Amino acid sequence: MPHCPLLTRRVALTAAATLLTVGLAGCGSAPDDGTPADTASAVVTLEDGWVKAVDTAGSDSTRMTALFGTLRNPTDDEVTVESAGCPAAGRVELHEVVPNDSGEMQMQPKAGGFVIPAGGEHVLQPGGDHIMLMDLRESLDNGTQTTITLSTSIGDVDVTVPVRTFGGGEESYVPEPSPTSS
Amino acid sequence: MSGSVDGPAAAAGPCRRTVILTGLLGAGAGAVTGAGAATAADGGPPTDAAAQELRLAGARATARPFRGTHQAGILEPPQPHAMFVAFDLTEGSDRDAVRRLLTVWTDDIERLMAGRGTLTDLEHELAAVAASLTVTVGVGPEVVELVGAAKPPWLAPLPAFPQVDELRDEWSHGDLMLQICADSPTTVAHAQRRLTTSVADLATVRWVQRGFREPFEGPGIPMRNLFGQVDGTEQPDVAGVDSGLLWVGDDGPAWLHRGSSVVVRRIAMRLDEWDRVDRASRENAIGRRLDTGAPVTGGDTAESPADLDATDDLGFHVIDDAAHLRRAHASAPHERFLRRPYSYDDAEGGTMRSGLVFVAYQADPVRQFVPVQSRLAEADLLNLWTVPVGSAVFAVLPGARDGEILGQAMFA
Repeated sequence: MPHCPLLTRRVALTAAATLLTVGLAGCGSAPDDGTPADTASAVVTLEDGWVKAVDTAGSDSTRMTALFGTLRNPTDDEVTVESAGCPAAGRVELHEVVPNDSGEMQMQPKAGGFVIPAGGEHVLQPGGDHIMLMDLRESLDNGTQTTITLSTSIGDVDVTVPVRTFGGGEESYVPEPSPTSS
Repeated sequence: MSGSVDGPAAAAGPCRRTVILTGLLGAGAGAVTGAGAATAADGGPPTDAAAQELRLAGARATARPFRGTHQAGILEPPQPHAMFVAFDLTEGSDRDAVRRLLTVWTDDIERLMAGRGTLTDLEHELAAVAASLTVTVGVGPEVVELVGAAKPPWLAPLPAFPQVDELRDEWSHGDLMLQICADSPTTVAHAQRRLTTSVADLATVRWVQRGFREPFEGPGIPMRNLFGQVDGTEQPDVAGVDSGLLWVGDDGPAWLHRGSSVVVRRIAMRLDEWDRVDRASRENAIGRRLDTGAPVTGGDTAESPADLDATDDLGFHVIDDAAHLRRAHASAPHERFLRRPYSYDDAEGGTMRSGLVFVAYQADPVRQFVPVQSRLAEADLLNLWTVPVGSAVFAVLPGARDGEILGQAMFA
């Protein structure tokens, strides 16, 4: 992909720049002028990332939420997101959503993490893979931001993402990976 | 189950789409170049896929810029489809809640106007056709008070016009207002849905007014209201010498510089009664010809000057003393404002509710609009067939510049 910069992607990143701060060398992978990324300094980025707002104090309170967005790997090698951390959460897990024995969709920890192909992407979305934030220490309010650290096979990346109200994402949760998941 | 989208379409598409879009983004001429490049590469006539991509690229090229000195949706010629949505802030809202709401809307609107889904949009295809979408944000008095910014004296309900008003709360007031306009009603509906759900915890919908204009509007085909009258005539030159009539200047609060105000009044039309009136009486009521919109004293176009002093053989004014044209005529240069009206006809069961969503932008509605409306309330033949049933005034935020949220200066 670096030899064929996507115009749509540049537009997207420019538009997102005001609210989405990509940590460390994240900006180096998508310069505003559209020149190919310098792969030597490139790291994994999260495009259009967001976290579902959650009220930990309300009557229907929950202490869980999730991070979504498109992980991009500008390097020439496969990169794995192995784990993640978030100051606002006591526990963070990489999740997938799979059908259980009765055919219902359930989420569970994803064995082996998220593998992003060389020069490719990996989409985190409601109903699919996502990063689960659990044991939240505080409410995450619509219109604020939160920071998550992605630990990848080539180093850590901080991403600061907007928090957004969202009505979906009500999958049920199974704590342990099922034997068939990987 | 993999979440990857690296399917065949994604793998094959990007490079060609980039070429076409690059060609399109410049101007209309660029579209031709882009199309030529796409087909020449194939060495033959355009394939279905190429034609389809070109159509999609053309739809994307209808995106209007969001960032700028002023908000979009004011100076541009009105798009044919509109939705006006007023919101009330959730009980217990504070300054921070207002800032968060405007943060969300700024991001949502910027994405939607660019033809992209919002962050939480699982149906982003519905956003792909930008269709000249503009979303314009206004705030009511309570928002300004909550934030603690200086409130302009005009940011309040208009004075009552008891001679004509039959205002209903369900069509009046509000803490926030979105004017959503586009060339496609689907685009309008999707934007309305996303912008409502994205702040569902911060604000609830108070009223919604749909409106439409003539989709074929242009030279020879004017905007006509549902009385058949040519509407929106005699506009001030707000993009030029009259810009001071539109934008709040140094005499207004600093946070509102380059912003404006908008009056939204729902004017019900008694079409059954109107239908009983002959054509000459209809023209007499407004003082204009129905066909061209020209004054009944002469001229070929709606812009032709009216001769308010002209009299007939009996000595009566040719333009009736209570004709809408005469009563609405500015008696001073500042009694002018930018009108952006939309018709509505909503069914309630088997009954049509028809009328006009009267929309006027001006720097100061009390100084510019109220004197005119006062004269119309006192005497206007059109009052026989029109009833104001809703009224609201909002401060229209200045445009968001790079790195800013809408209304950022309110929080300074």
